[in-house]
Amino acid sequence: MAAQQSQSIQTLLEAEKEAAKVVQQARQYRVQRLKDARSEAEKEIEEYKKTKEQEFKAFEQSHAGTTQTVQARIDKETEVKQKEIRAAYEGNKDKVVQKLLDRVILVKPELHRNLKKQQ
Amino acid sequence: MASRPLNDDEVLSEMNKMVAFIKQEALEKAREIKVKADEEFAIEKAKLVKQEQQAIDALYEKKRKGAEVSQKIAHSTLTNKSRLKLLQQREEHLQDLFATARAAIDELAMDEGRYVQFLQGIIVQGFLSQLEPEVTVHARPKDVQLVQRAAENAAQQYNEISGKTVKSTVEGSLSDDIAGGVKLVSGSQRITIDNTLDERLRLLEDRMLPEIRADLFGPNPNRKFYT
Repeated sequence: MAAQQSQSIQTLLEAEKEAAKVVQQARQYRVQRLKDARSEAEKEIEEYKKTKEQEFKAFEQSHAGTTQTVQARIDKETEVKQKEIRAAYEGNKDKVVQKLLDRVILVKPELHRNLKKQQ
Repeated sequence: MASRPLNDDEVLSEMNKMVAFIKQEALEKAREIKVKADEEFAIEKAKLVKQEQQAIDALYEKKRKGAEVSQKIAHSTLTNKSRLKLLQQREEHLQDLFATARAAIDELAMDEGRYVQFLQGIIVQGFLSQLEPEVTVHARPKDVQLVQRAAENAAQQYNEISGKTVKSTVEGSLSDDIAGGVKLVSGSQRITIDNTLDERLRLLEDRMLPEIRADLFGPNPNRKFYT
């Protein structure tokens, strides 16, 4: 009878041990899951970052393009305006030189406005 | 429950029931733990990802804005350069014009009739400006004769206009290289009026700039105020 009792107890103890093992495995699984969360998150983040980087690079490319077109347009406009200026100058310079020369010798002597002629 | 002690079979069956119970409890607990673990996994991962995504978005937004700003700056610089080029061209034309004029004033002294009249005029102008009783008139050596005649007439004209008298002395102390005209120095050597052709042209160059601009290149479309 005593032997049977201790055997029963033994069986129960072993069952407990097995149970504890099962629970322990579950806990380890939990720990592992938390680690997995971090590493998988990192992977996703890397992917996201790469995508964003590509988007940005594409954006930059398109911008460099517009700067060049703007430059070309400005250069053309400048060229046109330069021609206009040159033409205007050539057309008007003689007239202006003559105006200057005329005024150089133009003189109108006047008494200062605060003075009156002395008699 | 049996009130008598259990026999062997019953003991065994009870034992098995207990063992099964223990196992079942363990399995259920394990399952709970696993389910919660999976939930926490999902939450934690989502949280981390979202956090980092926000940081990355902010970073790239800033980069993008920086790129836009620098592009605007580049465009503005281009426009500015273009404007400066045009202004520089205008300035060159202007200097060319002035050089032409400066070369041309040498001819003005050739027409003697007009030149004498001009000399008289500027001498009177000088007298009226200085209002001094004694004046020295400096001229080019080759103009001395003309200037003496002009100075006499000028003193008379001065008297007609102002009622004052002036005593003038003519000296041929200016260089022959200049285009013409006179300098008047007052009796006490303190007041000088430079009325040479060169100086007059220089003053005109400066004072007439707005008018010259309008004549050469047309009026400024951006200008709002004219006195």
